[in-house]
Amino acid sequence: MGSVLSASAFFLTLAGTTVPARAVETEVNSTTAAQSYALSSPWGGLTVKRRRLLQTLALGLYHLEGGDRPGKADISVRLRLRLDADAGISSDETAYNAASDRFVPGLALAPIDLMYAYVEGRNLANGWLGFRLGRQYVTDSLGWWAFDGGLLRVTTPFFAEVELYGGLEERGGLPLSTPRFERNGVWRGDRKGFDDTVYTQFEKASIAPSYGVALQSTGVTWIHGRLDYRKVLNTGNSIVSLLVPDPISGLPVVASGTRTSSERIGYSLDTSAASVGALKGGLVYDLFNTEFSTYYAQADWYAAPWLSLGGEYEYFRPSFDGDSIFNYFAHSPLRTISGRLAVDPTDQITIAASGGIRSFTTDGDPNNFYDATGQKVRGQVSVNDVMTSGAARYHYDTGLFGLRGLSETGDRGHRRGGDLYTEQYFLARRWMALGRVSVYDWKDNTRPDRNATSFGYVVGGGFRPSPVAEAMVEWEHDMNRLVGQRFRILALLNLTVTK
Amino acid sequence: MTGRILVLVCVVAAIAGAFKPAIAAKAEHGTHPIYGDKPVPEKWLPPGAGDPDSGPSSVVFPPQKLTIRFNHKKHVKEVGATCFTCHGKAKTSTSAQDVLLPPGTTCDACHDTDHSNKKSVQPGSEDMGKCEFCHLGYRADAPSQVAPLDIPQPNMRFNHKAHLDRNIQCGQCHGSIEHLELATRDQMPRMKGCFGCHNMSGAAQGQAKSACDTCHVSEPDGRIKSMFATGELKPPRWLMNAQHTPDWLERHKRVAADNSALCANCHTERYCTDCHDGKVRPRQVHPNDWISMHPVAARQDNPRCTSCHQEQSFCLTCHQRAGVTMGGPNVSGNKFHPPDWIGTPFTSRGPGHHAWEAQRNLNACVSCHTERDCAICHASTGRGGLSINPHGGSMASQCASQFRRNPRPCLVCHEADSATLATCR
Repeated sequence: MGSVLSASAFFLTLAGTTVPARAVETEVNSTTAAQSYALSSPWGGLTVKRRRLLQTLALGLYHLEGGDRPGKADISVRLRLRLDADAGISSDETAYNAASDRFVPGLALAPIDLMYAYVEGRNLANGWLGFRLGRQYVTDSLGWWAFDGGLLRVTTPFFAEVELYGGLEERGGLPLSTPRFERNGVWRGDRKGFDDTVYTQFEKASIAPSYGVALQSTGVTWIHGRLDYRKVLNTGNSIVSLLVPDPISGLPVVASGTRTSSERIGYSLDTSAASVGALKGGLVYDLFNTEFSTYYAQADWYAAPWLSLGGEYEYFRPSFDGDSIFNYFAHSPLRTISGRLAVDPTDQITIAASGGIRSFTTDGDPNNFYDATGQKVRGQVSVNDVMTSGAARYHYDTGLFGLRGLSETGDRGHRRGGDLYTEQYFLARRWMALGRVSVYDWKDNTRPDRNATSFGYVVGGGFRPSPVAEAMVEWEHDMNRLVGQRFRILALLNLTVTK
Repeated sequence: MTGRILVLVCVVAAIAGAFKPAIAAKAEHGTHPIYGDKPVPEKWLPPGAGDPDSGPSSVVFPPQKLTIRFNHKKHVKEVGATCFTCHGKAKTSTSAQDVLLPPGTTCDACHDTDHSNKKSVQPGSEDMGKCEFCHLGYRADAPSQVAPLDIPQPNMRFNHKAHLDRNIQCGQCHGSIEHLELATRDQMPRMKGCFGCHNMSGAAQGQAKSACDTCHVSEPDGRIKSMFATGELKPPRWLMNAQHTPDWLERHKRVAADNSALCANCHTERYCTDCHDGKVRPRQVHPNDWISMHPVAARQDNPRCTSCHQEQSFCLTCHQRAGVTMGGPNVSGNKFHPPDWIGTPFTSRGPGHHAWEAQRNLNACVSCHTERDCAICHASTGRGGLSINPHGGSMASQCASQFRRNPRPCLVCHEADSATLATCR
């Protein structure tokens, strides 16, 4: 973070000394969300109260190079800080006490994280160079990810662009960080407050050096391809004797050193021919697991100006952090094949629908795994889910109506239902009212006691007295036989000042 | 009977003709792009227009109210005018907000009119000099009052001078107006047509950039402005199939994964984080009563969960608080899974056994279980487990590579000096 602040200070100083102050655009934004609701254990005994307050504060300094000049060199600074407090959390859930069974490792009453904070330069060196320095997001074929470090972008005249980046992956348990961008599988965080002998499966967070490179096409508007490579390393000690300590020393057995967290390569391609259709495809290969994590192919045909027809095939196999044993349990992929159509009968009405099959194939039928002689039958068996969904919107100058429905039915049960919703604006869009009604039915074949039909509604309203401020309140009421009545209140306030 | 009808029709036509203004027959020309209000052929529309064509963006080029009659075809082909005869300001115009329509005085030389004083415009002596010849709805009882033209400024950037300096002539953006009578907003450029030239990225590639803010008005933070009084700008279908259809929520991941910079032209990071790192449940993603329904959804389609939620921090923490995990706080004597979920080690693996579900949807397991829960049975006896081997058939070929890159997971179940692990070294 020190580097970010230093860089920010440098560029701010630069801006202050080389350009007129009026050229710099400043934006300060705050969002506040208060939520109140409660959860209960499936057995009804324990109630988890959520009394949440989310507060973000953002600062943007734009055009530090001197005004809005499209295509010209531009430097900006952006940051957003977030507080995510939950007053429903009790102190015995966050403070370890050997006498209490309520402690949840990693749970914090009011964590603060820096969502992003970076200096960005674009179109530098006559359009050849760009950079980002600080905490930043990366969105690519490998997923959505955040790290602290630097990114350099080189745009060539040959319709190709290269990105090089490196730094530290954002990890929970480290200062001003969330675990959102870590790979799944390893439970880690801040172990302050309790010693090494308890919760040994909760790993102490350590820095995670990471780097990557991307090569992508640029400029051409009918085709775009991107090739990504990224590697993240785990550091620090990790206890591996989760059940019994070392028989000789009696101490936990520890793995240490630098080791792979993830190493993947991905590629995506997106093409579109204006009056014909579009093709998309992509893949992610996990170099640690030496398996494909995912690949997909999607084709759309623009059958008419108002009609699109398409189909998609997707392969997905879960993968986890390299520190995790869960990689060894993932056997077979999920394969999904689906079709879709999108219709725009008028400028105001849009409709989309899709249907498909999600299939899992494994070596053996759960119902007939042993034959008459007690031998395992390892034949390939597929388990399928049939999925359909539909959505429609009717929008006009002062509001919209929407309808959304889905059905997923398979060996594990089903989930079916839909929502009808509306947003209405009044008095030059200063006032807004919203409503939503939903009915869903679900069935869980492994836990039939949890089958239920739910009815819920939401009503709310908003007020935007000026471009600077907007406020909204929502009331949600759900009812089903499992929980009876459930209520949720949500209040939002957004403030934005620009100068 | 037929004769009576014909007589009636003739009488009605005669009465109608009697009330028709004297020059009305002439006035029909110049009131539509093509005489008789026929559709404009695609070849005369601006580049990028479709067939059928829905016109230019109504957000960028708001609807107009044209209260003037003008015949471009006649002026160009018969009178010999060029575009610049009337629209000369285009040569020096650097902003789309510049008014490039000719003032009335431009017409005076030929129409024998005098528009120099707008409060007292003097008509010409011939028909083509009468006010009503050009001004639709002109009333003789209200002299010097004409219905105003309503041509809202376009919501875009455009530099006519820069284009003309590069010898990009009017027709290359506006189509063949010389074949048309009235030029309407249908002759305004189509974005698809702009991309015929605007296919450059860095400055090193020349001036016809494809960056959105080359043409679109931008916000202070550099994103293009998408909300206008006339509506919301959304990408067209032909642009990477990124049309925001009602199923866009399901489709957007393909576009964003491939070209997030395309999304960033309109959306800030906050827009993404509201869902993908969100603390307030988005209703378009998770409908009402989601808390009750989410176990079934997660077991059906868990890969979707991980696109927004980290399992150990988001799922596990809440499940521990609610007491539905195997270890940790608040564990009750109630069993979350059905009776045959674990079975008897080494012998039974029948219907309802957890192995099937774990193989199919391991992410669902990980949202409640830590490694320790699995190690209880799957770790070697030396690590305190029951040595139940979970590895698939491909493990033997993969283990050496994985062990070299990261031995930690191996050591959770196998002792460092075990014979099993030795085969992977």
